[in-house]
Amino acid sequence: MNTILEIDSLKKYYGKPGNQTKALNGITFQVMEGEFLGIMGSSGSGKSTLLNCIATVIQPSSGRIVMRGTQIQSLKGKKLAQYRGREIGYLFQNFELIDNLTGRENIMLPMSLHNVPDKESRDRLTRLASYLEITDVLDKFPSQMSGGQKQRIAAARALIMDPGIILADEPTGALDSKNAKTLMKKLSGLNEEENATILMVTHDSNAASYCKRILFIQDGQIFHELRRDTPEETRLEFYERILKVMSQMGGGSANVL
Amino acid sequence: MFFELIARNSKRSRKENGLFFTTLLVSVIAFYIILSLSRQDVMLFLQKMESDAVSRLLAMIPVFYALTLVILFFLIYFASKFQLERRRHEFGMYLMMGMTRNRLFVLLLAEDVRSSVIALLIGLPAGVLLSELISLVTARLVGLGIIGHRFTLSLHAILLTAAGFFIIKLAAFLILSAKISRQEIGSLLSEKPEETKRQYPAFVYGLALLAGILCLGTAYYLAIRGMSWSQIRMMGVTLLLGFAGTLLFFYGLRYIFNLVIKGGKRDRHLHIFNVRQLQENVVRKSGTMAVSSLLILGALCCFGAGVAIAVNYGQSDPHVLDYTFIPEYTDEPNQEKAAADIFDTLHKEGLDTEFSQLFEMKIGRIRTTDIRSEDDFENAYSMDSVMDQIAGFPASDDRDILLNNLSFADYPYLISLSGYNELLRTAGLPEIELGKDEGAVYMDSSFVNASRLEIMDAVLAKHPEVELDGNPLQLTGKVQTTAVVTDYSITMSFALILPDDAFQYYTQNQYDVYVNGVLDSGTTEKTGLMQAISGMNDRLNETGLNYESYLQNMGRQLFYIVAASYITIYLAIIFLIVANTVIGVQFLMNQQQTNRRYKTLIKLGAAYEILCGSAKKQINWYFGIPVLAAAVSSLFAVRALFTGILSPRTQGTAGELLGISAAMILVLCVIECIYMTAVKRSSSRYLLTLMAPEREE
Repeated sequence: MNTILEIDSLKKYYGKPGNQTKALNGITFQVMEGEFLGIMGSSGSGKSTLLNCIATVIQPSSGRIVMRGTQIQSLKGKKLAQYRGREIGYLFQNFELIDNLTGRENIMLPMSLHNVPDKESRDRLTRLASYLEITDVLDKFPSQMSGGQKQRIAAARALIMDPGIILADEPTGALDSKNAKTLMKKLSGLNEEENATILMVTHDSNAASYCKRILFIQDGQIFHELRRDTPEETRLEFYERILKVMSQMGGGSANVL
Repeated sequence: MFFELIARNSKRSRKENGLFFTTLLVSVIAFYIILSLSRQDVMLFLQKMESDAVSRLLAMIPVFYALTLVILFFLIYFASKFQLERRRHEFGMYLMMGMTRNRLFVLLLAEDVRSSVIALLIGLPAGVLLSELISLVTARLVGLGIIGHRFTLSLHAILLTAAGFFIIKLAAFLILSAKISRQEIGSLLSEKPEETKRQYPAFVYGLALLAGILCLGTAYYLAIRGMSWSQIRMMGVTLLLGFAGTLLFFYGLRYIFNLVIKGGKRDRHLHIFNVRQLQENVVRKSGTMAVSSLLILGALCCFGAGVAIAVNYGQSDPHVLDYTFIPEYTDEPNQEKAAADIFDTLHKEGLDTEFSQLFEMKIGRIRTTDIRSEDDFENAYSMDSVMDQIAGFPASDDRDILLNNLSFADYPYLISLSGYNELLRTAGLPEIELGKDEGAVYMDSSFVNASRLEIMDAVLAKHPEVELDGNPLQLTGKVQTTAVVTDYSITMSFALILPDDAFQYYTQNQYDVYVNGVLDSGTTEKTGLMQAISGMNDRLNETGLNYESYLQNMGRQLFYIVAASYITIYLAIIFLIVANTVIGVQFLMNQQQTNRRYKTLIKLGAAYEILCGSAKKQINWYFGIPVLAAAVSSLFAVRALFTGILSPRTQGTAGELLGISAAMILVLCVIECIYMTAVKRSSSRYLLTLMAPEREE
């Protein structure tokens, strides 16, 4: 298996010395092609900062992010736009659909942004829509959709450009359990059938149990790593193990008075 | 601390909404200029001669002022509402922190007053300066000379400007702050939910669009064919159709947007996003857009009307004569002796040297037939051959008008050739040569235009024979239009120029004599024509001579030009700035209300340049649609205006109309470009603030 994304001693400090927040304090890990990697941690642990660094929304203070052999901090102009458009697909907690565009128009938005000829992607759109079961709502506006449909439209938008990696930031955060389950099943299916690489940040253990590997982050550092023994280990067993680690985080019961 | 907050907030408002602030400045300047009109050099000068008309105009100015104040009130209300809406959250915070509602009210009031005072402090001096400049330039252009110029500061105008400005600002503020202060803190702190409008099936909008275009078409048809100008009721119907048509058109415009989106142009550079944004704006604000478009149309019409009036009064005949002396009426059959007296008086006073030309113009009527009753006119003169020939020309309005006018010319005035030739020499035109039984035709320029002259000249070229008191007379030469005396209000629709002998015979030595004079070019060049004539008038008044000077004509002409251009330009500017500010502020307001969408685009990897490009495209269209609608309408509306306002002589050719329209559209383009650039810059600045990543954990 090839390494698709390589994070090397990544640091992100906010504020001036003396009064500094170390959002990321030297994180190193790799993402393999076709992997479904989860990143878990409590609020303020640095999960979103990590994702934002990878998405080039913010600049890290130091360290390297290498995507398929290219260090992305050095990208500028067209290459940067190319990276954002072609290499990553972003799935947001609150969907981030544009409310005056229809589902189809929302999905096609990245193509319009990056001036990609949309001919090839029309077939892809049809396939994705039928897989994600959103064909019926393609011509509706977000206000006419359920939360689950919105997030699946957003997923289709993240996938339409066939990116190297999908970055999902708490994708189930705004969904009820039923819709969350449907979404996770679809994402996991995409990972298994289409070999899509997914990097998902979450603090929902249930959602995390769909991952193949989970990194636990605390105070800007990697605290623990879990790997699901596929196919022997069931999702339920993996879920139990996640819960165990979660209870250990923050010092576990030792911190409880 | 409190005052510092006021100063900082008011500065921020001005900076964030520079467009609105500039509009306020421009309106203050416009207010001052129109209110201080009575102090302009030209007006002071005109007041001496056309005091009646001038005072009537000056009496009308407060009405215009009040009217524009009302229009501006709505603009200020609208823009202030936008400013206050943006700060809802801030107000909520003040109240949460324990500021009393009264104190918040005082804070807002103080901010508002501060901004108004600054606008006045900049606007008034600028207005005074500009008004002086206009005064100087117009005075120079019409030849009043700079010597007479005095720096004038109209305290009355300053006070009225400040008072009017404060009143509308305060009124808008009170209404808005009352609305804000009644709201709960919670609703202030939360984002205001967007109102959704009911959607109808697509064909409703298509129908509205069609109805709108039909209404507009009917309105323009009525106006251009001149039907609207015949009765007030028809005018009302036309205007109503125009308003309704524009409103319906903008209401139905979303139908076109749907077609554009479905049309499936390749979606590049956020094309669909842009169209959807525009569509939303048009759907939600179709009424405001229609009104903006109508205001721009109003501005164009004002401009067009101003030009029309200026053309109508400005392009009168070429100026030849400066003076006409009118002899005292005596019982003698002709005024030869009285005319000789005029020469004597002038010579005695030493005034004759001031004139480069002094000559007699003799005008009389046919006296060889004994006119006892009206019917006898018919025997005096007839020109059937001329009428027949004119009737032989291809049908046109001009031909019919000519036939109609000439059918009344059965008892024409007669002009002696020697006097008229003198006039032609003075004007630098070729003289007329007439044989014994020949005559030339004089028609006053207000009764003919280019194509009528063409018809007449073609007829005269064939030397038609007419009958003058039973004797044959051959008409020859070209139609003469050079005015016989200075007073433009004396016009003869048709007269015959006859050789002196024939003139003496037909008038039986009963005729009027006018003495025409042209001032020495040395004097006029030194002080300017206006000053020269006005100086000469003073000296002539002492002699007791009865005279008409070119000054009256010029004054009248000048008055109409100045009045028309001042008022129309003033209204056009107010309309234009109001319309453009409404469009611009509305766009920016909507952009800020929908900032989430731009944030989403940023999250999807849109670069700053792409966002700015998209916003610029939206701005182009957002301004472009109402402006384009207004420009297309103006092509018809200005034509209709010309039909209604102008006399047939000045209605001009299609080319002239096109020229005026083109000039108007050019001016409009420049103004729109300025506004669009301002809005684009402000939008780009706003988008830049969205680019900063938010830290949300």
